Amino acid sequence: MTDRQIMTGDEIRRAIIRISHEIVEKQAGTEGLALVGIQRRGVPLAQRIAAAIEEHEGVRPPVGALDITFYRDDLSLVAQQPIVKGTDLPFDLNGATVVLIDDVLYTGRTIRCAMDALIDFGRPRAIRLAVLIDRGHRELPIRADHVGKNVPTSREEIVHVHVAEMDGTDEVAIARQAGDDTDRR
Amino acid sequence: MSAQAGAGAAQAARKDAAPTQDVAWHHRHVLDVDVLTWPEIELIMRTAEEMGGILARPIRKVPALNGRRVTTLFYEASTRTRVSFETAARNLSADVVSIATATSSVTKGESLVDTIRTLEALGAEILIMRHSVSGAPYLAAQVFSGHVLNGGDGWHAHPTQALLDLYTMRQHVPGGDLRGRKVVIVGDVLHSRVARSNIWSLTAAGADLWLCGPATLLRGLDRWAAAWEGGKVPGHGRFHVTSDVAAAIRDADVVMALRIQRERMQSGLLPSLREYAARFGINAERVSRARPEAIVMHPGPMNEGVEIAPDVAASGRSVVTEQVSNGVAIRMALLYLLAGSHDGTVPGAAR
Amino acid sequence: MSARAGLKAGQAGQAGQVVERLEIQKAWLVDPVAGREGPGEIVVSDGVLESVVWLEGDEAGGVDDRGVVVAPGLLEMHAHFREPGFEDAETVATGCAAAAHGGYTTAAVMPNTQPALDEPGILERVRAAAAASGSPVEVLAYGAVSLDRAGEQLSAMGELADAGVVGYSDDGACVRTPRLLRSALLYAGMLGLPIVDHCEDAELTAGAEANEGYVASVLGLAGWPAAAEVNAVSRDIAVLADALRDEPRARLHLTHLSTAAALDAVRRARAAGLPVTCDVTPHHLAFTDEWIAGSRRWSWEALAADGLSGDPWVDGALTAAPYDTSLRVNPPLRTPADAAACLAAVLDGTAGAVVTDHAPHTAVDKEVEFGRAINGISGIETALGILLSFVDAGKLPLARAVAALTTGPAGIMAGWSRVAGTAAARPRGLTEGAAADLVVFDRADSWQVTADSLLSKGKNTPLLGRSLPGRVLFTVAGGRLAYQDPSPDQA
Repeated sequence: MTDRQIMTGDEIRRAIIRISHEIVEKQAGTEGLALVGIQRRGVPLAQRIAAAIEEHEGVRPPVGALDITFYRDDLSLVAQQPIVKGTDLPFDLNGATVVLIDDVLYTGRTIRCAMDALIDFGRPRAIRLAVLIDRGHRELPIRADHVGKNVPTSREEIVHVHVAEMDGTDEVAIARQAGDDTDRR
Repeated sequence: MSAQAGAGAAQAARKDAAPTQDVAWHHRHVLDVDVLTWPEIELIMRTAEEMGGILARPIRKVPALNGRRVTTLFYEASTRTRVSFETAARNLSADVVSIATATSSVTKGESLVDTIRTLEALGAEILIMRHSVSGAPYLAAQVFSGHVLNGGDGWHAHPTQALLDLYTMRQHVPGGDLRGRKVVIVGDVLHSRVARSNIWSLTAAGADLWLCGPATLLRGLDRWAAAWEGGKVPGHGRFHVTSDVAAAIRDADVVMALRIQRERMQSGLLPSLREYAARFGINAERVSRARPEAIVMHPGPMNEGVEIAPDVAASGRSVVTEQVSNGVAIRMALLYLLAGSHDGTVPGAAR
Repeated sequence: MSARAGLKAGQAGQAGQVVERLEIQKAWLVDPVAGREGPGEIVVSDGVLESVVWLEGDEAGGVDDRGVVVAPGLLEMHAHFREPGFEDAETVATGCAAAAHGGYTTAAVMPNTQPALDEPGILERVRAAAAASGSPVEVLAYGAVSLDRAGEQLSAMGELADAGVVGYSDDGACVRTPRLLRSALLYAGMLGLPIVDHCEDAELTAGAEANEGYVASVLGLAGWPAAAEVNAVSRDIAVLADALRDEPRARLHLTHLSTAAALDAVRRARAAGLPVTCDVTPHHLAFTDEWIAGSRRWSWEALAADGLSGDPWVDGALTAAPYDTSLRVNPPLRTPADAAACLAAVLDGTAGAVVTDHAPHTAVDKEVEFGRAINGISGIETALGILLSFVDAGKLPLARAVAALTTGPAGIMAGWSRVAGTAAARPRGLTEGAAADLVVFDRADSWQVTADSLLSKGKNTPLLGRSLPGRVLFTVAGGRLAYQDPSPDQA
């Protein structure tokens, strides 16, 4: 299993800055914006994007964390990953433009769950999606509004996103591994 | 609950460093607490905490068990527990069917095995059972291809009650750690499945457990305590059995009262309920001998004036209503863990 | 399948028919009447045990007691064949087939049939069923002590005695009152027959599910106190002592005793010269109440070094699901210490016999909640294998095991004057010139206990799926072939 690096720490930093600009551009400002990171690695990414927006706009949008564990359509994962990481949405969703943030967009099922979850908390005005990596192979009609990098992959590959807050380093790598596809996002 | 709004990386890291991150849930049934390891119990506690979070939301529902069929099969009448289980199942978006045996074909003499086979043919996936004969859910587990959750069997076990009791206690002791904390259970221990399951869970938690009641209602428990002397059972400490209620309650952190049934008087085990209340009832005077911050618990329903005095039941120490709401969270946690425990091969699962 | 030296059974014949010729060479013979065991050979010809040859010196080389063994046919003193009334659970025909598979050539059945065997007409039905079955296994019967086993009036004891019962019992229940027991002892004694009692104080055992002890406490099962058995035993012994003054032929046999205390009481009574005998079952010798918690270790394995009962939750002994209803039996399985007391009683002769209390039941009656399951273990086919497990473990000498199943019960029955001297109480040995009555089994070969391998209708044994030592090769009863192992491996 050899890892192939596809994004360095600097590339990630630049992508995040670009995405933060795109988000503000699409919203024509920061009014009504709220960032929601999907557990687990979407959360530190959301924090970084919020910090970047604050850097160039002077305003920091509210950041929440969303755990989609209870919204998954595949309970067989419970046995292996039963731990729940927590949902915290410290703002009113009603009428907000929520930008969901995740590290990798793959089949789209995670995003569908995330939308279901969000709607249980309130009625956002709009939901957008920003991801660091789009690796293709969508199984649902879901599209990201903002993408850090498009990376064509095969189904046998796994995309590893490392963020300093959790993994000590910033990096995106691809590993080739045969076997189960439990990481189907 | 997580507190990440505006927080830095440090908090995220701490949360992610949860010690039992790698505990997997592999039990197909929950029949008693005795086979659960401590990490598994902690997993249930943490999952219940998340479920508690869901109960605090405006929409108290998640689709985790969407389309799954949960059937309650209660051979013993019990509205409270049954409604608690049903609520838990509905909060997870499961479809719930309830069999009230008084009106079902069980009264026509249908055997337990036949009833379960019929329910399975009707699509039941998770069976929540309460039965008056000890061991009945083990028979169910043998003939049912789905999941069995024991809602109480005879005198033997009531795992969800013990778990919600543990959950409640942890919320009221410093650090949520019961090690060394004195917990006393007073009442008809002999006939109590709540007591038996609590013995397993509280000794696993390292609590200083005392069982107390009149000698006729403690029969056999001393033998059990003696067998566990010296920490012989791996993962479970010893416990005390005594009729001396003053010694049992002294400096206790938790006082749990068990229901005394009128039948005990009639079968010659107690002279009268009045005498029980006088000698063993949890009244204000007795409770004052416990720690100042001690809580009072009761699995319900309460016989106020017998095992627990009305003023104690209503006092600030009483956490009985918390036990009830924690019960829903614990039951949601167990249903969630059970539903995901079988690699998706549960028959009829919506996929 | 191990090699069996010198088995010539080609012409042994069909089941039920007279054995034309059966030669067993270089086997281990056990003759408890002669008090002898060792290498030997036998020949059965036209139903007669024509020759018994004990091998000496070089001829005996290579033959030990771990291979093929020839012993007298086993005598079952206490079995339930359920006919008439409960033919779903067993019939006399299937009971005899099961008995023969277990190595038994005689079985004495209990009268708790429906209707109860309380008058000769019912005994005739049982005999007719035995004859119709074609089985050469000899079926004896006990009559009920009380009419319809109701514990009120005496049954037709005299008529039953004339019809040939070997004793009286209300088994399934205890003789209900001391007063009734006294009358029964006197009347039966007058007839030269015993009262066989199932000792249980019903008032103490109302609602009981499992032996009152540690295991029941943890499993939340209503306790069955040892006192219930001891009480009844003490009562019976006291009543017997009184009755003997009026009728010196009064005889008492206490069946399936299970507690150390009760066995002690019998030991003391016998030492005082009272004509009381008792027996224990293989399941009380080998299984314990631990099994209900899910243990499957033999009783001696559950005893700690200090002789105290081990703890299945501590010792990691739980290997099966708990609350298995095949373990529900009356008297209940007791502690390992009690099981050890049963073995000690067999070894010192307090318990003169091991009897199975073969109690077949339908799956319907057993596939229910533990507390609602009917009591009884189907045991006639597994008794020999269980005792041989004790022999394999060095807990019981082979000769004692054989004696406990042959001369032991025969000796007890010979103490009942009306039975003594009849064929029922004949000494069980390997006697040249007598009708062949023997069992041949191979200790080097085991067999799997499964629903298919059991010939009884009763599959209610906790040994299902387990293998037992001592595969029975032949059972010959009264010169006729009662059972032959169906495996092809016979020259």
